[in-house]
Amino acid sequence: MLADVIESLAKIVFIFTVNVGVFAPILGWVERKQSAVMQDRIGANRADILGFTAIGLFHSLADALKLLTKEDFVPANANKFFHTLAPFIALVPAIAAFAIIPFGGRYELFGREINLVIADLDVGILYVFALAGLATYGTVLAGWSSRSNWSLLGGLRASAQMLSYEVAMGLSIIGVIIVYGSLRLTDIGAIQEDFFRWGIFLQPVGFIIYMTCAIAENKRIPFDIPEAESELVAGYFTEYSGMKFVMFWMAEFLEMVTISAIVTTLFFGAWHIPFVTDAMLLSWFQGAGPNGAAALAMLVNIVVFFAKVSFFIWLQMTIRWTLPRFRYDQVMRMCWKMLLPLSLINLSITGLVVLLL
Amino acid sequence: MSTTTGLGQTPYSVQVGIPAAVLKPKKVRRRLDLTLWEKLYVAEIVRGLVVTSKHFFINMIGFIFPPAGKKRKVFTVYYPEEKLELPPAYRGRPVLVADADGREKCVACGLCEKMCPAHAISIVAAEKAPGERYPERYTLDLGRCVYCGYCEEVCPKEAIVMSDEYQGLAQRDRNRLRFEKEQLLRPEGKVKTRLYFVRRIYSKWNY
Repeated sequence: MLADVIESLAKIVFIFTVNVGVFAPILGWVERKQSAVMQDRIGANRADILGFTAIGLFHSLADALKLLTKEDFVPANANKFFHTLAPFIALVPAIAAFAIIPFGGRYELFGREINLVIADLDVGILYVFALAGLATYGTVLAGWSSRSNWSLLGGLRASAQMLSYEVAMGLSIIGVIIVYGSLRLTDIGAIQEDFFRWGIFLQPVGFIIYMTCAIAENKRIPFDIPEAESELVAGYFTEYSGMKFVMFWMAEFLEMVTISAIVTTLFFGAWHIPFVTDAMLLSWFQGAGPNGAAALAMLVNIVVFFAKVSFFIWLQMTIRWTLPRFRYDQVMRMCWKMLLPLSLINLSITGLVVLLL
Repeated sequence: MSTTTGLGQTPYSVQVGIPAAVLKPKKVRRRLDLTLWEKLYVAEIVRGLVVTSKHFFINMIGFIFPPAGKKRKVFTVYYPEEKLELPPAYRGRPVLVADADGREKCVACGLCEKMCPAHAISIVAAEKAPGERYPERYTLDLGRCVYCGYCEEVCPKEAIVMSDEYQGLAQRDRNRLRFEKEQLLRPEGKVKTRLYFVRRIYSKWNY
């Protein structure tokens, strides 16, 4: 019993550290630096500690210090309670969604079976959708409680967009669930040990639809009409400053990590290296004894998983710095007239093929 | 092509801009409606991503393994440490040209003062010998100057030119932007390229 608690706590601390401690601050730096490199610029590199700049990494630190010491501003006549609550509602699902994502397989370590997922839920992927639906409340509440026209319009747009894309996103994932026959993400990951059963080969259309919808859910650039700078200043978080602003900002980055993790788990073989089965991996490290081999295999799988996650973060960043923003009607047309029928067709063809085979 | 000034005979020849043959402008499609292929977005998005990631990877390789001896592909200039090499066509703040003795070439004819659209120049003329004028005071108010270059164009003696200086113009006090003759004098060698350029664009060959 105690060992279970310790194991769970260790996994929670690990995921929390990786997400909030590593990904969230580093992604701010990555966004600046990657956009700079893509546009033939150099990017932020001036902040230094004792003349040591660490290729601009201290800008994240400087940003954090600046935003933490800023005034916490609430507009006059705004609903102070909901105005304060909204960033929490936006941030907490972004962190909590990582609970069901397996970042490694099952390993025998010192007679204990370790399953590298915080909560191995039966409903797995549905939990992610539930939390993504909850995150909508954060943005809507932020837009409504700020008592600003820009915020309100941003919140309205966010609610319409996120509700619309939730439909197509759910339908795109159902294809994957049909193919693998399970909602549990650890099962889906385990099946993808065989390279030719990766989701990208079985559900290529589903991948494109899911990726599109996920970016739209995250409100990043091709779909950033809720926060369109040129139209709505900053959309639903126009009236936020300091720590609360950081929370929205962190929620966006963490959602990006979560999206990458789900894409990796569902479509790109989770923690597996192509053509390398778990047994092969264990046999490579046989020299380290059974426990050592399991530990090394675990390490390799975690590294592989986060390498894949990093690649999809890079892809999302590249998309964000390549494409211009869609118009509002284009966003809606794309969802209801293109993605939704496409996902329905994909779903019926998948169902037919699975039924016939 | 001969000049009476003692500046030597090297004509100004620096290529400005990219020649049209190198640029090879692509044909622009004027049709406004999207084709079906473009309406599907995916292929076009991938095409865009390929363009940007090509830049990304080329630059990343350039950052990690900088090509020896070659200038970097990134255009950013680290400003206070590095400075742009300005082309002679750049109109910085106007300066007075000094001759070999270190004295101003200006003869205080007053043409620049008359021409200046911003009334930035004021000259107090005097005579050092009968019939030989010189500016006793030559005041240029850079708080008023609009950097049009008319003074340079109109000057018959090549005594005032636009230099490539652009620093030192951020002052808290407007009086400090009023530059006197002594502050404006520059030796002829410093503004040589601009002088050649001015002769070329205004056809000032025979002064």
